[in-house]
Amino acid sequence: MELQAVLMAAGGGSRMTDLTYNTPKPMLPVGNKPLMWYPLNLLERVGFEEVIVITTKEVQKMMSTDSKMKRDIKMKMEVVCVPEDGDMGTADALRHIQQKIKTDILVVSCDLITDVALHEVVDLFRAHNATLAMLMSKAHEFTETVPGQKGKKRTAEQRDFVGVDQSGKRLLFMANEADLEDGLSVRKSIIRKHPRMHIKTGLVDAHLYCLKKAVVDFLTENKSISSIRGELVPYLVRKQFSKTTNSQKVKEDLEDQTQKKNDCSTNHELLISSRDEPLLQLAQERSCWNDHRGDMSEAYHGGKLRCYVHIMEQGLCYRVNTLAAYIEANRQAPKLFEEPPVHPSAVISERCQVGSDSIIGERCQIAEKTSIKRSTIGISSNVKEKVKVTNSIVMHSVTIEEGCNIQGSVICSNAIIGRGADLKYCLVGNGQRIEPEGKTQQHEHTQS
Amino acid sequence: MASKGGKQSRPSSGFTGRKGAGEQEEEEQPLQAVLVADSFNRRFFPVTKDQPRALLPLGNAAMIDYTLEFLTSTGVQETFVFCCWMASKIKAHLLKSKWCRPSSPNTIHIITSELYRSLGDVLRDVDAKSLVRSDFVLVYGDVVSNIDISQALQQHRHRRKMDKNISVMTMIFKESSPGHRSRCEEDDVVVAMDSKSQQILHYQKTQGIKKLHFPMNIFHCGSDEFEVRHDLLDSHISICSPQVAELFTDNFDYQTRDDFVRGILVNEEILGNQIHMHVTKDGYGVRVSNLLMYDSVSSDFVRRWFYPLTPESNFTDQEGRSCTYSRHNVYRGSGVSLGHGSQMVENILIGCDTSIGANCCISNSVIGDNCTIGDNVTLDHAYIWNDVHIASNVAIRQSVVCDKAKVKEGVTLNKQCVLAYNVVIGPNISLPEGTVVSMHHPDEEEDEDADEFLSDDAEVGQSKDKTKQKIFNPAEVGAEGKGYIWKAGGLDDAEEEELSQCLWGLVLNPDPESDSEDSEPDDPDDLMIPSPEMDDVKVFQMEVMGTLQRGLEENIGCDNLVLEINSLKYAYNISLKEVMQILTSVVLEYPFQQQGPNLTPSQYVALLLPLLKKWAPVFKNYVKRAQDHLDCLAAFEEHFLEQESHWPAMVKVLMSMYELEILEEEMILRWFSQGATTDASRRLRKNQGLQKFIHWLEEAEESSEEDGE
Repeated sequence: MELQAVLMAAGGGSRMTDLTYNTPKPMLPVGNKPLMWYPLNLLERVGFEEVIVITTKEVQKMMSTDSKMKRDIKMKMEVVCVPEDGDMGTADALRHIQQKIKTDILVVSCDLITDVALHEVVDLFRAHNATLAMLMSKAHEFTETVPGQKGKKRTAEQRDFVGVDQSGKRLLFMANEADLEDGLSVRKSIIRKHPRMHIKTGLVDAHLYCLKKAVVDFLTENKSISSIRGELVPYLVRKQFSKTTNSQKVKEDLEDQTQKKNDCSTNHELLISSRDEPLLQLAQERSCWNDHRGDMSEAYHGGKLRCYVHIMEQGLCYRVNTLAAYIEANRQAPKLFEEPPVHPSAVISERCQVGSDSIIGERCQIAEKTSIKRSTIGISSNVKEKVKVTNSIVMHSVTIEEGCNIQGSVICSNAIIGRGADLKYCLVGNGQRIEPEGKTQQHEHTQS
Repeated sequence: MASKGGKQSRPSSGFTGRKGAGEQEEEEQPLQAVLVADSFNRRFFPVTKDQPRALLPLGNAAMIDYTLEFLTSTGVQETFVFCCWMASKIKAHLLKSKWCRPSSPNTIHIITSELYRSLGDVLRDVDAKSLVRSDFVLVYGDVVSNIDISQALQQHRHRRKMDKNISVMTMIFKESSPGHRSRCEEDDVVVAMDSKSQQILHYQKTQGIKKLHFPMNIFHCGSDEFEVRHDLLDSHISICSPQVAELFTDNFDYQTRDDFVRGILVNEEILGNQIHMHVTKDGYGVRVSNLLMYDSVSSDFVRRWFYPLTPESNFTDQEGRSCTYSRHNVYRGSGVSLGHGSQMVENILIGCDTSIGANCCISNSVIGDNCTIGDNVTLDHAYIWNDVHIASNVAIRQSVVCDKAKVKEGVTLNKQCVLAYNVVIGPNISLPEGTVVSMHHPDEEEDEDADEFLSDDAEVGQSKDKTKQKIFNPAEVGAEGKGYIWKAGGLDDAEEEELSQCLWGLVLNPDPESDSEDSEPDDPDDLMIPSPEMDDVKVFQMEVMGTLQRGLEENIGCDNLVLEINSLKYAYNISLKEVMQILTSVVLEYPFQQQGPNLTPSQYVALLLPLLKKWAPVFKNYVKRAQDHLDCLAAFEEHFLEQESHWPAMVKVLMSMYELEILEEEMILRWFSQGATTDASRRLRKNQGLQKFIHWLEEAEESSEEDGE
């Protein structure tokens, strides 16, 4: 086994609390499949046979009852529960399962929906014997109106600056605009090694990482790091250009008393990564291959710690962590699987219009004279006569009475929409009941 | 002076077919160029005492010829040559050359003035005389290039057409990685650019800088992809819009192109001008800015890197300059004689009528015309100019020997030696590394130093007569030697810390950086923001202190003090709450400030109470709402927490503030009961005097309530 897959599915979905109020994020339906089905499917497609799923008790329970998960996922899933309340970061979670990790790992977040060719990332990891390889994608503009958000959405979001080398693969630095008030400074030695640096903004981190096993070991000794994205990755990226071994010794002596020593000594292990290191070293010395041009120094300028990034120029890549992304993902997700959009067990009357871009879940009942366009209707939902559903997401077991007009809205599970209600760009909470003839206009929330 | 001719475009057969499509768009405007045939520095001293830099031979042709050839081949039809130092010599050279023949596709106007001190002066003159009509090419007389700039020119024109003359300059860069031979260490630049538009956002010389800093505002231009490039070599060729000359006029402090670029980039938002860049991968374009560059450019020339400019092409079209080209890049002019057993290893260019003796070994060298070289001579990276006489058993390594110099028997020139014009060395002497010998005495220079801006090339004539016949030192230049040693390395100039005048340019010491790197911390604080120096609050506090002090000295009324503090508040953008706290702490600190920190509590109280009384109106002006009282008390508390020894004074101060009606009893009570959050402040509240005071207050309140009822 070359890589162990780890799925991080314990996140609370703090940026879309409206949706995750009753359903934990990993189980949110996207195209009538739980969100975590997508990364699992991604892993399965490339041939993983086992996966460690880190999640909460609640999700575990729901997983065991969810039919889709049981039927569709054939991988062996080893579920590890973490306490729900403790704010455990992703790195903490890795530390938690350190015993189970025997090889290098591939960490995926449960909210990733992508059609990336996963081997691109793993190949970078392999080819350069990298410590870290990650996936990024061009950020998508979400153009759809989002229920419950007034006006133009946050434009003032801080940008991430990502520096890559000429090939666009080697990750040279990462910083958030917020930390760069004084401007960006780069050491000249880095510039000398990588004289042509591309600095990109407008990328999203897909939260998919290949990490060396040594990094996990490093984490167990370095308890202060709690998040992969927030702390570990920036640390690794920075470490690429710090002085290696010999000077480290001196430093260690100097800083004996401080806790930094701990840091340094584990870093040693970080560098001595794989068991056949001497062989690789030899191969590198004998080879005429080089990762750069221009000067005569050895490949990678002798650096042992290397971070790489695969940037998707096109293709699907969403992180479903906001409402806008959730809506967009629902629209795009059907492209990822080849199932008939209308489930065979759904009962659809003959005299209704169901667009080919809509998904109808199991055991749905669609009555006459309805029109459903660009929407998702969840499992066991009941849509009565003369209902118009456009551009909306209807979750499971929702009842929509006659004559409703629903547009651009998200309706959570078990809601009941009263007769003749008119919903535009609304978000209807779990188990809510909309009064008959209710007219709810743009950007209103209904929530228990 | 310039003859204003050649305005009408010349017959198109006259120039190379390179320019193509760009021409028609230009409405038949001929492409113009400004060639600055002066370096405005003294890097090549003392060699340039006798010959201007533009006329120094490189590969047996004057440098300015390369520049003109480059301009002509890219399609320039009208060139203005600006000369200052030894203008007459340049003029004579040009008038003789093929450029001034009637058949030349490139009309040359020579403009001379003694008054040019910098590139800025030249361009201001261009503007004053309104010489340029449209985009022009700006180069120096020592630029060697074969870059085809027509593509860059088209892009430049396109950009200018698209958005209304915003782009004023396109700089031409050649791609070459750090550490490349032809990179001039002094010219090392880092450029930040917008990847899509090729706009330069930041331009910085890296020499001596360890950490490169890019201000944040350059990333706000709406693009999402930037590039930081250090693999560029500045070719010192730029395509300029006519505005460039105007901008130089407007900004009379711009001296060099670097000033200009910096100015434009910094003021981009104000003036709205932009600079773009064009990067060529396969062209060759460098400026010979020191002898190290001279060395590498010469060897590149011999190795045919500037094709189609090659030694045998005789592009200057002078008679009798043809030479033959044989393998290992050996070029021989006509009439060259080679002695028995002499070896021509590789990369050698030998001028006409030069004779070489027996058993010589020559490699990587350029030898001029009419030279005589004796037997058993070793030359490596030697640049021998014209009419040089070298006797037998001489060894020369990486050195320059100028015209009419004589090297006698048994002389060794170690690396980086320069023998200027007419110098005689030897016999049997070895010059140490970096020796510069000239017929001009170094002291001559002092006369000229009066004017430090003087270019390379001012007054030549007079200095000669002034020189008292000084005696040559045989220990330095040999028994029969003639010439004075110039101090190796920088001249006497302490004042010119900028690129010391060393002929050879910077010593290419192994990058010191790689060693020092580890001294830098690489911990998370790597990216930490340094703490801001002296924030506004601090400054405000100082100002308030000053104001109060002045108020006391000059007996200024409280109303005016309030006015002043208010205006300070706005000037430093201080919130009312902060004003409260700062005012309180300043007043409480005041006795310490004036009398030193060693006051006893009783002295302190004695000093403070009158002050409080005096400034009570100021306080009252600010302390109005309940929150103000609490803020004031918080500052009070903070002050006394720091001055534990003065706790006995605390009650008296508080008491007097109460009596002066600065603080209300209700608020004091509230503060006392609620404010304690830390151990220290709890301890403070246990202070006996304070407890007594509070007790008294409580009683007073109760009694007053009773009274009220």
